[in-house]
Amino acid sequence: MRSRPRRSLIPVAAVAASALVLSACAGDSEPTATGPTTGGTLVYASGDAEPTCLDPHVGGNYPQALLATQFLESLVSRDAEGEIVPWLAESWTVSDDALTWEFTLADGVEFTDGTPFDAEAVKVNVEHLQDPATQSSTGYLAVEKVASVEAVDDLTARFTLSEPDSALLESLSQPWLAIESPAGIARGMEENCESPVGTGPFVVDSWAKQDRVTLTRNDDYSSPPADALHDGPAYLDGIEWRFIPDSASRYAALQAGEVQVIDNVQPDVLVQAEGSDSLVELDAPRPGSSNRIELNSGKAPFDDVAVREAFIRSVNVDDAVSSLFQGTAERSFSPLASVEPAAYSDDSLFGYDLDEANTLLDEAGWSEKDSDGVRTKDGERLTLAFPVSTNQSIPAEVSLFEQLQAGAKDAGFDVQLDLLDLASWYAALGANDYDLVSAPYTKVGPDVLRILYHSDGIVPAPSGYFANHAQVDDTAVDALLDEASATLDEADRAALYEEAQADVLEGYYILPLYDQQNHFLLSTSVHDARALGTVSTPSFAAAWLS
Amino acid sequence: MTHTTSPAVDPLLAVPTPGRRWRRVTLGEVVAVVFAVSLVVASVAPGFLAPQNPAAVAPLDSFQPPSLAHPFGTDESGRDVYTRIVHGAGSSLLIGLAATGIGLATALLLALVAVFGGRFADAVVGRTVEVLFAFPALLSALLVILVLGPGPVAATVAVGLSTAPGYARIIRTSLLRVRASGYVESARLLGHSPARIVLRTILPNALSPLLALATLGVGQAVVWASSLSFLGLGAQPPAPEWGAMLASARVYLTTAWWLTVFPGLLILATTLATTTIGRSLDARSAGWGQSGPSGQSGQSGQSGRPS
Amino acid sequence: MSGSRAQAIVRWTARTVLRATVVLWASATLVFFITRLVPGDPAEAALGGPGSQASEEALDAVRQRYGFDQPLIVQYGIAMLALLRLDLGTSYALRQPVVQILADTVPGTATLAVLALLLAWAMALALTLSHTRSSRAGAAIGDTVEIVASAVPHFWLATILIAVFSTALAWFPPVSTGTPAGLVLPVVTLAVPIAGFLAHVMRGSLDEALSAPFATSAVARGETATGLRFRHALRHAALPALGLSAWAFGYLIGGAVVVETIFARPGLGRSLLQAVTVRDVPVVTGVVLVSALVYVILTVVTDALTRIIDPRIGIVTR
Repeated sequence: MRSRPRRSLIPVAAVAASALVLSACAGDSEPTATGPTTGGTLVYASGDAEPTCLDPHVGGNYPQALLATQFLESLVSRDAEGEIVPWLAESWTVSDDALTWEFTLADGVEFTDGTPFDAEAVKVNVEHLQDPATQSSTGYLAVEKVASVEAVDDLTARFTLSEPDSALLESLSQPWLAIESPAGIARGMEENCESPVGTGPFVVDSWAKQDRVTLTRNDDYSSPPADALHDGPAYLDGIEWRFIPDSASRYAALQAGEVQVIDNVQPDVLVQAEGSDSLVELDAPRPGSSNRIELNSGKAPFDDVAVREAFIRSVNVDDAVSSLFQGTAERSFSPLASVEPAAYSDDSLFGYDLDEANTLLDEAGWSEKDSDGVRTKDGERLTLAFPVSTNQSIPAEVSLFEQLQAGAKDAGFDVQLDLLDLASWYAALGANDYDLVSAPYTKVGPDVLRILYHSDGIVPAPSGYFANHAQVDDTAVDALLDEASATLDEADRAALYEEAQADVLEGYYILPLYDQQNHFLLSTSVHDARALGTVSTPSFAAAWLS
Repeated sequence: MTHTTSPAVDPLLAVPTPGRRWRRVTLGEVVAVVFAVSLVVASVAPGFLAPQNPAAVAPLDSFQPPSLAHPFGTDESGRDVYTRIVHGAGSSLLIGLAATGIGLATALLLALVAVFGGRFADAVVGRTVEVLFAFPALLSALLVILVLGPGPVAATVAVGLSTAPGYARIIRTSLLRVRASGYVESARLLGHSPARIVLRTILPNALSPLLALATLGVGQAVVWASSLSFLGLGAQPPAPEWGAMLASARVYLTTAWWLTVFPGLLILATTLATTTIGRSLDARSAGWGQSGPSGQSGQSGQSGRPS
Repeated sequence: MSGSRAQAIVRWTARTVLRATVVLWASATLVFFITRLVPGDPAEAALGGPGSQASEEALDAVRQRYGFDQPLIVQYGIAMLALLRLDLGTSYALRQPVVQILADTVPGTATLAVLALLLAWAMALALTLSHTRSSRAGAAIGDTVEIVASAVPHFWLATILIAVFSTALAWFPPVSTGTPAGLVLPVVTLAVPIAGFLAHVMRGSLDEALSAPFATSAVARGETATGLRFRHALRHAALPALGLSAWAFGYLIGGAVVVETIFARPGLGRSLLQAVTVRDVPVVTGVVLVSALVYVILTVVTDALTRIIDPRIGIVTR
């Protein structure tokens, strides 16, 4: 049995960690000596889609995670260095066969409806995630290997797994697996969607659809994660969480002082805000996959590795990124986000080389060109379908795709960009009507590689959804991912994931672009806001207004 | 359905403009016609006005403010905005024309059935149009998009269909007037077939007043279609359609105003031109019939009321 | 006389109510059948669309609950009966009764629409009175202002207003704040195009009224030009503009879709756009029916008002 001691709170380290996240503030002349003041309501303007249900167990997307971070808490968290740290679970042990995990829970924690937080609550939550009626997607996948949870005593929850899962702690740290009040869940889906009950620093007070969610302080808050900046009730009286889909309006509202925090900030605005002494940027790239274009290797023309390499060589990603992101996004050469300690990069594979691309295509038999300058082979045009979901890609990214489209044209590729609503986009993927696609996947830890590149992920789930869009079907990759998933030793696990990533990169299955962008702009009147080390959602548990 | 004013198409036509029949050609009309002609040139031969390639990206030239080299500046991918606007005129205008065509054709069909299909058909069409009037234009357009899914074709059909009820009323009145005139009777006495009467006698007489209406309609359709593009339901970037250009440019409003201002001005100018031309056609045609296409001056007090 | 007049009023009212009911029923029928044309499995849509990972059992449950497994005509019957009970179903996306969504969003949009209509009337009156029968240059300016106002697209006007009055001058907030100041820009955006249309219509009829015989005789009695405009002619000029109000409302609803999205105001328009994007059929149906209802009511009211104001069209005449 291995065990991890609970870490004590180390404020200095925590402040240092948050300083890493908060980028330098141009006018950082605020005298921090005045210290936090209690009171005030923070107004947050979100550009993400408004959730249809505030309970992140249902479905499980990023907009839900953003909100849930304010009022729900998970068993464990992850700090800025990528280490799993205690939260609602104080410590844990794992058996030698890696099939039994025992979590010792924090004592004396209550949900905001007065229900005590205990092992039974943990059991109810996992069962809630596994119940098909909950319609959980993200959380459901994350607890797939959990066979059962047992309340050994009030403060000990025992997880029994069907097979070893080295990603269990990372999965449990995500907001989509946060622990909710069993009494809250028992009210039924409709009510729980409106106001999930957790142990977090804020409580859902009301939700005016298509306008705002009003959150108020939990005065009895006592359960911060081990890397928290502050361990009592929040300083803020509450948070007004507004939905402002229009990015120009959002920024105008921030400038006008109507709101104090905005998300989904566009690159040009970030550049402009750098010169402002009343705004601070919080750059919190999401964990999991990098933002990359996947090349569908499951059908022609990308079933030929040479054509995949030719496409990747024919596009000048660096120029496009620098023109559109203006220094706010760093080029990635990895399948994983840079915040993942296990990320492996190889920039030598992705150099822009039009001549090389042309040579590769000539050799691959795409040697003829039609009157439009598009290559052909046996009368077939070199056309690439690229469905783009406007929900998944910000405008700058769509412009980036347009630039890549223009670049690939020079090599004789006819890239057909198709902007689709989410439903049509899913339909295009389900029908295998794509050659290129961009679908970043947010998840804590490198286990995301298994979801994205294991051949199991090519077979659509009953719902039609599948995550291996590149259709990587490689027994060597499968074996590496399976083994990594069962390997608890950090170093061994990292080595296996590294090998799998190298295989994916060298097979030219993906074209990495940059991290999943997640920029926030804050008024300088907001202090001590930070992004959690889990899925990079901002937390205002320690925030105060001046 | 006893009378016809149709504000849903354009209330600018809904009232007669007495006292203005003396009008000479004004400066505004000249400017409008010149602008409209350049739009047509831009649609047919955009290369004549803007020789560059509208899709040519130059990442390192992005966000250039207006200058001699780029009179309307460059966009986020370094494309020349002037070139894109000129090359976008075709698709914007085509959407406007096609939508107006769809609206007029649907309306004509309805009106023909109403006028020549007997009392029952008239009643049914009349009620149908009355019901359609209860759906504001953008709402019916959104209903069409709900069924067809977003896209430029859907947006065109949506805008077209949503204008049909308005046109239908006006065409019906026009047809009734022609039917009541002596032409039809004399054609019938001459032994012409019904089809020939409709095609050769009724349509030409009933449709000429529609020219003014259609001109106005094209401008309105361009605005509606660009609104749908702006809402992400019509043409999509990188199509240089003006509404889509504006939609993608709004993101950069604070840093690159020229991306928003110029496509917007072009949409505005197009509507101004079509409105000016449409109105003056209306005023001029008012002389030859009993009244203009909308004319029923005695009853203007009841305009817009379905009855 | 008074007896027959009362009878006429009763007949008119009965006929109007009957006609309004028929229009509403037909609208509901039309919307029902149009929404059945929406592609895709409605049960899947009800569970959040593809990607929601709905199980077959969940889909079956939904099919039963909404009656998707019934023949179309039965579904239609169920929908119409539900409508009589004011039950518009449950939103697929928001998981809330549509009636509640409407109750939450109608006040915001109504405030916007009423204020915009009032402002539009004020602007149109000012424009009309200042330019009718003025010099040629004055008329040309009036013409231009009218056309520009009526031609400007909402979304562009809103953008320019935000850029000037929020970002540059910081006079008004760029998003709805719940304060009166937050209403200024959205109301102006909505009012300007309507004002252009109304002004044109008013000016046309004012011109006409001023050349009518009663105007000439009033001038002969010593009425001043200004007095004539205000006391007599305007009343006639206002009539056609009043008749446009029902149309203007429809136009405002369309504008609200754009304006509420840009200014982040909760309302009918924003709900509708959201619902169309995610194919949330019950919400779309609800919003369309509400606007049909308001349109019908406004039509009846303006009709009645017109008959009251204008003695030429008595309530008795047909």
